[in-house]
Amino acid sequence: MFAGFDFAILVRNAPFLWGGMLLTLKLTALAVTGGLLLGVVLAVLRLSTIPFAPTLVAGYVNFLRSMPLILAIFWFYTLIPKLTGQSVSSFYSVLIAFILFEAAYYSEIIRAGISSVRRGQIAAGLALGLTNAQSMRYIVLPQAIRNMTPVLLTQSIVMLQDTSLVYVVGLRDFLTTADIVAGRDSRPVELYMFVALVFLVICFGASRMVHRLRRRYAL
Amino acid sequence: MIELKGVSKWYGDFRVLDDCSMRIARGEVVVICGPSGSGKSTLIKCMNGLEPFTKGEITIDGVSVGAKEAYLPKLRSRIGMVFQNFELFPHMSAARNIMLAQQKVLGRDKQTATIKTNELLERMGLAEHASKYPAELSGGQQQRVAIARALAMDPIAMLFDEPTSALDPEMITEVLDVMVGLALEGMTMAVVTHEMGFARKVADRMVFMDQGAIVEDAAKDEFFGTRRSERAQQFLSKILQH
Repeated sequence: MFAGFDFAILVRNAPFLWGGMLLTLKLTALAVTGGLLLGVVLAVLRLSTIPFAPTLVAGYVNFLRSMPLILAIFWFYTLIPKLTGQSVSSFYSVLIAFILFEAAYYSEIIRAGISSVRRGQIAAGLALGLTNAQSMRYIVLPQAIRNMTPVLLTQSIVMLQDTSLVYVVGLRDFLTTADIVAGRDSRPVELYMFVALVFLVICFGASRMVHRLRRRYAL
Repeated sequence: MIELKGVSKWYGDFRVLDDCSMRIARGEVVVICGPSGSGKSTLIKCMNGLEPFTKGEITIDGVSVGAKEAYLPKLRSRIGMVFQNFELFPHMSAARNIMLAQQKVLGRDKQTATIKTNELLERMGLAEHASKYPAELSGGQQQRVAIARALAMDPIAMLFDEPTSALDPEMITEVLDVMVGLALEGMTMAVVTHEMGFARKVADRMVFMDQGAIVEDAAKDEFFGTRRSERAQQFLSKILQH
């Protein structure tokens, strides 16, 4: 059924496509890491009793979640040079946009995860003489992370797919490089099939990995 | 050892605890009973600072619980607490549940903590369940692990908040047996419970609460005898009916 298709095109363009893949992976890894770290901070602040902190965080989260990602990307691309007076590479402006954007989503997931742990669990930790921080670290967070892993994974996969939006500021991610090859050599079917297959493999692999992790740590 | 003076607590206008005063001496077993919503659980949770209170004073071995400068983690590590819903940590094995605070709070090394843990599991008749997770244990077994977890800290007193209320009848006995054993060894205990059989067996004093106030605080024989308040009489006749 694949007669007339030219899959050798993938081999010929492998280095170019790999370059796009590297950008996609790098951006995803950095944005997920940064987004998670900022997300934990935001979630803890939102659950805290520090004056105004919960309201400010709620405002931030709602503001960013109401915005299409592509707007955030444009925004930081034009805004950061104006604010800092320096030109910033497209990559970093996009990375900052992704981190700030993803953190808003992650913080809500993490907040729900922390809230899902029963109050009595904290009481039991405190009653044993653990400090608040120790109860958080040894009792609440391990249970919260277990509860939220599937949702965090889903959000991270969405993030991976969303990296393709960086074409708007001239960056070449995986999908964009594939698109360029497809257009230049008029081989859209082969290229788009390949892209779909690669995304499928990555997502499937990631979900298997989480499955394994959860079992290994008896989560 | 544990002393409460005029402890009161309000939620807005609602008075949860009303001027409660009592003393628990070293080695004494005090059973606190009363209708639901009478403030028994709140009172016992105030004793180790898990519940803040509005007015009054609680001291443990002379150290004030409510004082701003009180370092609660240290104080709590010396008072064991057992909860109605066990509150074992579900992501840790039974042994790990008992180990955690020994290592993180008391700073015991792994070997010392393991020896203590095995000793306690043995004593609770749970030696073969050490590596099981809470979800794999019955309610009675979970509560015994919870008691072991509290005892691992070598507490000077134990607080029990309705320890058998969430258990099936056939499991109540195995938990009460452990508690009777503790009482007979001379452990200082405050127990919120409706198990009047247990109270009759080991209590030194009975405290009866109603609407946030301590209505009666009497020696066991006196309480189960004739000299008791009408309110306590009504309550007792209700729970002892069957």
